[in-house]
Amino acid sequence: MRQPSALFGFTTLRRLASPPRRKQFERLLWHCLALSVAVLFAAPLVWLIIASLQPIGWPPPRTLVWFPHGVAWSNYVEIFRVAPLGLQIGNSLFVSAAGMLITLLTASWAGFAMSQLPPPSRGWLVGLALLLLLIPSGAVWMPRYVLFSSMGLIDTYAALVAPALFGTRSLLALMYYWSFRRVSPELYESASLDGAGLWTVWRRIALPLARPTTLAVAVLAFSHYWSDFVDPLLFLKSTQRFTIAVGLRMLQQMDATNWPLLMAAVTVMIAPVLALYLLLQVVLNKDMNFLRRVIHPFNK
Amino acid sequence: MTALKRSGVTSASSHLVDPRFLRHVQLWLMAAPFLFGALLLVVLPAALSFALAFMRYDVLAPPTWRGVENFVVIFRRDVFWIALRNTLVFAFSAAPLQVFGALLVALLLHPERRGVRLYRAVVYLTNILPDVAYALIWLWLLNPLYGPINLTLSWLGLPTPAWLVDSRTALASLVIVAAVRVGEGMLLLIAARRTVPDSYYDAARIDGADRLRIFWHITLPLLVPWLLLLLIRDLVMAIHSSLTPVLLMTGGGPGYATTLLPFLIYEEAFTHLRLGEAAAMMGVIFALIGPLIGLAGWLTHRWWGDHAG
Repeated sequence: MRQPSALFGFTTLRRLASPPRRKQFERLLWHCLALSVAVLFAAPLVWLIIASLQPIGWPPPRTLVWFPHGVAWSNYVEIFRVAPLGLQIGNSLFVSAAGMLITLLTASWAGFAMSQLPPPSRGWLVGLALLLLLIPSGAVWMPRYVLFSSMGLIDTYAALVAPALFGTRSLLALMYYWSFRRVSPELYESASLDGAGLWTVWRRIALPLARPTTLAVAVLAFSHYWSDFVDPLLFLKSTQRFTIAVGLRMLQQMDATNWPLLMAAVTVMIAPVLALYLLLQVVLNKDMNFLRRVIHPFNK
Repeated sequence: MTALKRSGVTSASSHLVDPRFLRHVQLWLMAAPFLFGALLLVVLPAALSFALAFMRYDVLAPPTWRGVENFVVIFRRDVFWIALRNTLVFAFSAAPLQVFGALLVALLLHPERRGVRLYRAVVYLTNILPDVAYALIWLWLLNPLYGPINLTLSWLGLPTPAWLVDSRTALASLVIVAAVRVGEGMLLLIAARRTVPDSYYDAARIDGADRLRIFWHITLPLLVPWLLLLLIRDLVMAIHSSLTPVLLMTGGGPGYATTLLPFLIYEEAFTHLRLGEAAAMMGVIFALIGPLIGLAGWLTHRWWGDHAG
């Protein structure tokens, strides 16, 4: 056990191969491994899309053939006729946009307060946010239902958007806090000396400097409300108010064996989330200048 | 408008009250929606569910006091113990698997090489998919007759279990589905791995240590706090986020094979309108999770102190 390397043959390998060639071999091995992991994780999505394009009426293929009966793009038209998907998408868009906008305000205010308050209160506030981070929203839906029904909020969108009051998830407020904290305190101080109130400092200095955070928070908040399933399931009663998440369950219960249509609806539902996520990836990871180019002209 | 406000604020602050006090009031006002929301949507519901656990309540009539009888009633029911056992089995197998998977992927995708961002993004995909979509996709993948997984298995000549339809494999299937979501853990562990100074690795390499020993003696010990926190978080999440998959994929069956506590609570509260008993079950869940959350808080404070924020 003293020399586990000998057990695995690493030493011999190292002696045999010259260093640069070993590096090359390692790199190749790494790429193969990483690629196969990525393929494995992408497979469910590929299968989803294949399943969504099978023509309706045929039994699903029993072998690993991709399209034994042709490709049915018409499924994506059909689901809008079979189910009120258009209406549900509209509802989801409304709820998600409202939730996102409120979240941007409340999370950035809370984050700004955390970054500007002096130590004892700051620690208290950040501690609260961290504690909230550990309490999943799934822990409180039942009493929330009781609370909302006593407030007459059942079957309203207010019940769905309510978490935006504390920034949807306290992580989003914390993200603003971490980003505001990175701004040098002198910048804030000089602005205050110029007579700018806190409100102005938040709007004119803190927010513009935290644009990447704002984008990330916006995407996360929007996807949260778009994806939310348990809240609309519990709090909404009338079907014409349903969001797309509960709409999928409706579709599943309507015809449990019509896989192509259900998978097409799933694809439609995840498309905006994937697109937003891709945008975030491109903007935040690849090119910070791109972000400036995109957002700056509108903000002048 | 800002000019007006500015002059108003400065004149008020310079003459009437201490400007620092005014500043604090403003800051607390900015934090007010956050605090109000936390109070209304977390603290109040938590208190309410504690109170309801001792009441008889069916939403329609006002609640009446029932004492500990809710607990006596649920403890007498077999289905409660089945659900509790299922919940523990589910959480304590899904969460460790998830952490282990996240560690493997994080170690693989940690080096900054060409294409690594794409690979990470693909792994993270599983986490951004909405729960409903994720559950429905897996319901299709695990379909015993037509699902791609069983088609692949039979093509490879391997046995094809009935997954969610068989009471012996249903819970295990849910565990697999939950454990695949390693994206967040991976990102956290990659970030954690970055905090280890390169000099540690250089020193170890000069001493002639190979990869396995470097991992065992440097990487792993330094990652332990993160792994523990991740494990606790995943345990809590596994218990609480199980409602959506159970509801969409199995409906608690076959039999009671996948009846987990959140699903049972949902049934009690919304199908049978026994909110008191549902609240008592939530009390049981909290008794499981409370210590875990406390432990996580204590560990965070101990390891990172005030830098946690």
